[in-house]
Amino acid sequence: MNYTKEIKYLSVAMLFLVLLALFSLFWGQYDIEISTFMNYLDYKLFLNEQSDTQSFALIENIIFNIRLPRILLAILIGAALATSGAVFQAMFVNPLVSPGILGVLAGASFGAALGMLISEHWYIVQIVAFGFGFISVGFAVLIGSMVTNSRSTVMLVLGGVISGSLFTSLLSVIKYVADPYSTLPAIVYWLMGSLAMAQLNEVFLVAIPILISITGMIFMSKYFDLMSLGDEEAKALGVNVKLIRIIAIILATLASSLSVVMAGIIGWVGLIIPHIIRMAVGPSHRLLIPLSAIVGGAFLLLADAISRLALSVEIPIGILTSLIGIPIFIIVLKNARAAWN
Amino acid sequence: MELKPLIDVKNLHFSYKTHKILSGVDLKLYKGEVVSLLGPNGCGKSTLIKLILKLLYGSGDILINDKTITNHSHRDIASYIAYIPQYNNTPFNYSVMEMVLMGRISKLGFFALASANDYEVANKALQKIGIWHLKDKAFGQLSGGQKQMVLLARSIAQEVNIFIMDEPVAGLDYGNQIRLLELINELSAQGYTFLKTTHYPDHALLISSRVVVINGGKIIADGAPHKVITKEMIQDVYSINADIITHDSHKRCVPIFQKTI
Repeated sequence: MNYTKEIKYLSVAMLFLVLLALFSLFWGQYDIEISTFMNYLDYKLFLNEQSDTQSFALIENIIFNIRLPRILLAILIGAALATSGAVFQAMFVNPLVSPGILGVLAGASFGAALGMLISEHWYIVQIVAFGFGFISVGFAVLIGSMVTNSRSTVMLVLGGVISGSLFTSLLSVIKYVADPYSTLPAIVYWLMGSLAMAQLNEVFLVAIPILISITGMIFMSKYFDLMSLGDEEAKALGVNVKLIRIIAIILATLASSLSVVMAGIIGWVGLIIPHIIRMAVGPSHRLLIPLSAIVGGAFLLLADAISRLALSVEIPIGILTSLIGIPIFIIVLKNARAAWN
Repeated sequence: MELKPLIDVKNLHFSYKTHKILSGVDLKLYKGEVVSLLGPNGCGKSTLIKLILKLLYGSGDILINDKTITNHSHRDIASYIAYIPQYNNTPFNYSVMEMVLMGRISKLGFFALASANDYEVANKALQKIGIWHLKDKAFGQLSGGQKQMVLLARSIAQEVNIFIMDEPVAGLDYGNQIRLLELINELSAQGYTFLKTTHYPDHALLISSRVVVINGGKIIADGAPHKVITKEMIQDVYSINADIITHDSHKRCVPIFQKTI
């Protein structure tokens, strides 16, 4: 079998992502001419003499310390959120769930804030965020299944709303007790979602677990098709439903919780990107999962470019994705009904 | 030499909470049979099927290919038995080809994607059922009859001998009901073995090689269709009157209205 269709879509999406990344790298409050950058590379890599070496320090600073970490982080987080969204939707056979709706983002943000209070170690913050992300999705599922024993689309969404509210309230408690001059503003700005604080070494640290979980989800994608038929049919076709579900939920929760640690709550990406892709290329997860990763990354990169360039003040990206995401989701809801029924 | 059963259900009991659903069920399924499970709503037909597929757990034993079901993983069972559920609704609208390819999952390694051979098998299965032309259509947009045919093609792509169907004609229009029965008949002539539940004694007479009647969680009759499906059995199980007539050398079951007011 050749996977012509898959390769075609993935290459086009990847090309778009790379172009967008290059655009973001060179265009901003301070535009960098491609020719200047080429001269810089020529100077750095081939040690050729250049006339304007004094501007190179500035270019180096802008590209490697400011823009590159931000671009990489935007791609990573967009990919993590969109892929987890697609996986949650398949696992719960429910096109209305996402890391945001299931309460994972709220749980992880509570966990991360708690982590920041109790420890200065980066990995502790990550682990606590993941732990509470996992607890919150478990809580959402528990509430959803307590009321009805069948798998109900609406009940799970309600369970997520309840779980999300719980952790948002708990987060408020942390905000209330946090130092109003230092910790509180830090938590508030971080929660609004921002990629501005990214440091290259931090990005690499978080990139490893995120990339591992995205890769894992891509490798498991053929099982998601079967899982979305419901447990009984998936089992009868030979799938180890429990094992696949637990691994998938752990991977999706890990990726989306880490996105919260890095950039606060960035909503809607996990909900709308899988829907848009399903409408464009169909529901098969073999293509949906990797394409969600690429398009999710591109979407957040684009949103970040808008947040940097649209106004003279930078809009927090979490606010922007909501502003873009909500109208898109309304359109998606209107068009997608036919595809669900 | 005694023929070995493909599936051997021994003294099977199943309760849901305090409610007893199956008690002491024995059933053997042999190669090439078309066995119809008859019985009123809630008699335990579907439960029996789910127990055989290890979707539920009861007490007693079920041997599949001579091995007890507790030692079979779902993947093992899927390499012997294909399941065609009553209806299929998924919020994600896969294409017919994607649905049929899902039948190949138990043949694939953990990381493997469907290969050229898997597509070949899926294509052949669709051709066999006569719905190859639908392969790129969206499953959700098909009629009930076409959906059942896609699920049959998926079962053929699973490359197993035993097909278990839960009320295959439920929700189908009259024409599709009869066409599906014909298709089951043809597949059985090619050597496939069927175990299916049905609400229609007449359908059981039309295409079964054996009929098993379950009532109140117990098997009350098991044998050749014309011997099991009698006026008395219909009266006993469904509390209605029916005539068993002979039409074109086939026994048929015709219900008779009773004056109730």
